[in-house]
Amino acid sequence: MKISTKSIAQGTLVAIDGRIDTTNYNEFEQAVNQLFEEKVTAIYLDCSKLNYISSSGLRVFLTIQKKMMGTGGKFLLFAMQPTIKEIFDISGFSTIFNIYDTEEAALQN
Amino acid sequence: MEQQEHKQLIIRNEIAELNRVVTFLEGLEEEWQLPLAIITPINLVLEEALSNVIFYAYEKGSTHEIKIDFTLSANQLDITITDTGKPFDPTRKEDPDIDLPAEERPIGGLGIFLIRKIMNEVSYERVGQENVLRMTKKF
Repeated sequence: MKISTKSIAQGTLVAIDGRIDTTNYNEFEQAVNQLFEEKVTAIYLDCSKLNYISSSGLRVFLTIQKKMMGTGGKFLLFAMQPTIKEIFDISGFSTIFNIYDTEEAALQN
Repeated sequence: MEQQEHKQLIIRNEIAELNRVVTFLEGLEEEWQLPLAIITPINLVLEEALSNVIFYAYEKGSTHEIKIDFTLSANQLDITITDTGKPFDPTRKEDPDIDLPAEERPIGGLGIFLIRKIMNEVSYERVGQENVLRMTKKF
């Protein structure tokens, strides 16, 4: 998994490339905690290259959402692959998260 | 008689071994020409089931083997996970409430739910000193 972050006018753009699973979810968690320390108010997560996620990764997503909701911040996901979307659907996560088809659509919200 | 193919993978109770499971599945996908659409779900199911065994079935620091048997028959993949850890029946675990809003959703508790949702059949049996988890995916 590769995680890259970029500051943009609306907040922080985070892109994940690869898998988030039990063996590496802590790397994702650390990257996110770093953003919280920087008091970021909006996270835009590019999921276009996220090709696998297990419950370990879903846990981190839920933690981010809870945290952002608690601080009045925003957490928006976009460009999710169908196999990942299906896992979000099964878990009931599709209704918890703001998921957009494209980066443009996410940035407008 | 219906034709069946069988493969077995044995891993140790270490999280890093899940990477071997991924590689093994990639090989299986190619050799058995499995439909691409089931590979990610099967990978997910195995990770959830095996990480439960790795994290909770054994005393910390002890090394054990976990057996994973794959059987392919017409339009069906059967997977059996056998471990010698303490008895645990994942089929008896209660489903999480997936309609709760984010504030009320507990962190965790999704793994076994995902297994049950993805697989067509899941059954558990304690056989002597072994946990035997049998799962079937139809395609």
